[in-house]
Amino acid sequence: MRKEKVRKIFLSLLLGFCLVFVLSARFSFPQEKSSDIEEMKKTAPKVFIDCGICDIDHIRTEITFVNYVRDRKEADVHVLVTSLRTGAQGREYTLAFIGQNRFEGIDDTHKYFTESTDTEDEIREGMAKALKVGLMSYVAKTPIASRIRLSYSDVVEETASEDKWNYWVFTISGDGQLSGEESYKSKSLSGSFNASRVTPDLKISLSLYGSHYQENFDYDSTSLESTQDSLSLGGLVVKSISDHWSYGAYFDSGSSTFENIKFGLTFQPALEYNLFPYSQSTRRQLRFLYKIGFDSVRYREETIYYKMKETLWEQSLSITFDIKEKWGSISTTLSGSHYFHDVSFYRLTLFNILNIQVVKGLNFFAFGGGSRIHDQFSLVKGDISLDEVLLKRTQLATGYDYFGAVGLSFTFGSIFTNVVNPRFGSHGYGGMQIIID
Amino acid sequence: MMKKNLLCGVLTFICLFLPAYAQTPSKGSAIQNGKPIVFFDWEGADFDLLKNTINFVDYAERADEAQINIQVTTREAESGNTEYTVSFIGQGDYEGDNDELKYSAAEDKPEIEKQKELAGLIKMSLMRYVGKTPISDRVSITFLDKVEPTDVEDKWNFWVFSLSADTFFSGEESYKSGMLNGSLSANRVTPELKIRMSFSAYIDDSRFKFEDQVIKSDSDSQTLSGLVVKSISEHWSVGGFFSATSSTYSNVKLALNPAPAIEYNAFPYSESTTHQLRFLYRLNYKSVRYREETIYEKTYENLWQQSLEIAFEVKKKWGTASASLDGSHYFHNFGKNRIRISGELSLRLFKGLDLNIYGRYSRIRDQLSLPREGLSVEEVLLRQKQLATSYQYSMSVGLSYTFGSLKSKVVNPRFGTGGRSISITM
Repeated sequence: MRKEKVRKIFLSLLLGFCLVFVLSARFSFPQEKSSDIEEMKKTAPKVFIDCGICDIDHIRTEITFVNYVRDRKEADVHVLVTSLRTGAQGREYTLAFIGQNRFEGIDDTHKYFTESTDTEDEIREGMAKALKVGLMSYVAKTPIASRIRLSYSDVVEETASEDKWNYWVFTISGDGQLSGEESYKSKSLSGSFNASRVTPDLKISLSLYGSHYQENFDYDSTSLESTQDSLSLGGLVVKSISDHWSYGAYFDSGSSTFENIKFGLTFQPALEYNLFPYSQSTRRQLRFLYKIGFDSVRYREETIYYKMKETLWEQSLSITFDIKEKWGSISTTLSGSHYFHDVSFYRLTLFNILNIQVVKGLNFFAFGGGSRIHDQFSLVKGDISLDEVLLKRTQLATGYDYFGAVGLSFTFGSIFTNVVNPRFGSHGYGGMQIIID
Repeated sequence: MMKKNLLCGVLTFICLFLPAYAQTPSKGSAIQNGKPIVFFDWEGADFDLLKNTINFVDYAERADEAQINIQVTTREAESGNTEYTVSFIGQGDYEGDNDELKYSAAEDKPEIEKQKELAGLIKMSLMRYVGKTPISDRVSITFLDKVEPTDVEDKWNFWVFSLSADTFFSGEESYKSGMLNGSLSANRVTPELKIRMSFSAYIDDSRFKFEDQVIKSDSDSQTLSGLVVKSISEHWSVGGFFSATSSTYSNVKLALNPAPAIEYNAFPYSESTTHQLRFLYRLNYKSVRYREETIYEKTYENLWQQSLEIAFEVKKKWGTASASLDGSHYFHNFGKNRIRISGELSLRLFKGLDLNIYGRYSRIRDQLSLPREGLSVEEVLLRQKQLATSYQYSMSVGLSYTFGSLKSKVVNPRFGTGGRSISITM
């Protein structure tokens, strides 16, 4: 039986590979004599698009006068795209064009803005347009330039309307989800309201969020219902002092079944120093954020410290270092906090992300974090059921937590990624993509 | 106590920032408001030709009035060609933003032709500056030719190979988990033929400590898969899938599944990023060996199955919509079948109001691999093994309305952007 299986696998594999090679050989014959344009295409700039949020297939379909490569080291132009949220809840994309190889030293930076109401199609159209415009000065240095038509239509300038909202933006949203099968059902509901006003001098944001989550298991004679609710109201105000300094305050209030909190209130004035100018934030930052304030909490059930409510003062410092360059990115946050009434109640957290490409084709990423936890005031005194543990419905006593991931990939072979072939669907085949926001 | 704190907090919050709020944000620099101003330092230039070709800049009379100073020099090369060097020097708002262009024109080319071509290149190079002004919206760039994406010199003949390994672990005192994943792949994608092959293996292990007991949960799977698709026309493709899998979740020790397939797309494939309506038919042969005896008292079986998938996708200015319907049945017993329907819609109802709907429903009559032995409570709660069911559904609806100052382009990264998230797609 087993032998037969092995033979079957072997035969199918052999058949598969034969088919592959016969077909590939059949289609890899050199094409007929190249014409001028084919020669021009061969010398067109090689571009590496370093953008996790872009619709790459759309870019490849829209911009066909350059060659796309999968490895940054092969590229003549490395386009590094980073983004930040704008005051209007849209995005500001920064396109850094980094010249390499034959364009060594020729760098450029362009910006592209989206609005929160733009659809996916509008966003990708705009991005392709911004890329095209930015690539022009590189393309102009190669023969394919002669085959590009650039036109300009001088339409009447639309009059800029007064901003009657004075930079305020509001969002109301609601979400509902349902899923299930015979023995398992879940549903969730959430709603939120956000108001914000962002100017270079002052940032204000306020948000109200509520959610309800419920799961039902029904198996044999066991039936189980598990719910989790939370409600919160939060706010942040930040005033700019200089290119490096800011001050402000955080405000949070809410309840959570997970944390055994009936109602909690936190108010923390804060001060921040950034070693790099804030204007470089998407590429590099080293921020020191200090907060001091109080937590006032009312618990759902009595805690292991025999409390039903308490008000505690604490201070915290967090240090964030981010850098994104053409070789990859590093992002680290170290934060520590302690309570004043008893300094032995503290928490230390480290969070780190690393994503680098040093050698051609070799990609390495690692991310991880851990906490030393000595401040679980809200733990419930009573017993916890097995299902609460397995479903992670309640906070458990712990002195630490950690997570981590390491990955390595090596790619070799053809460097070009010009082709878009959507036939039989475009399933993901291996590979991993990490987007850090 | 709490109320007093709340009031005090809110008041401080307001007082602290009241004076600041009254200030209006600074205006953008002059550069944002119109066409770049250029000055040409070019002996013998035909200015009428230049102004006709490059109509999106203002021409300055003096170098110091310009934002971009363009210097053109010529030189006779040994070959007899005329070599032009164009230097773009940014001034004022464009200080430090410089570029250089070289152009070599054949000796016998008429002067007017040389200048025309050079003006065309200067026009393109100026996009470097125009891209930083609002007028870049009114520029349109078109490539006059249709080229094959495979017009490149590639010694690997479009083959790409990749090896990867990754691991993820997490834990606290009463809970630990770890995952290990490895894969190999070989791909070759050209417009005529798509070949994908991969092997991946996955192990997952977690432990819960509860009172005095430790609950362990493991699962692992290995998959070898392949796909070959040959393009027949803009609408038709043929090919085949192959997979060999092993999985603890679905009680499968080894399943072999070769499947020839054919696909028809009602829209041309070249428009796939905008819209597609694909009909994919597969004829599956499945040879399966189970880990535990199934509810049908089988430890292995060989079966034929056919399936049809209809997928529709459209991405337009107003939003994105997709829907798919897929059905399959076994030949030995037509009652063993499955139908799945799903749809997704992301729609801008009007400026500011977005609607997102997602739904999926499956009617399941083909769970051939269910083990005969029952499952433990832990296996159920941790969703470690598949359960008997005749349906599965999931849906979500989201509505969001944004209003206010929607044109603001201000970014302010102070105090961070509100937490950080990592999303990983595999």
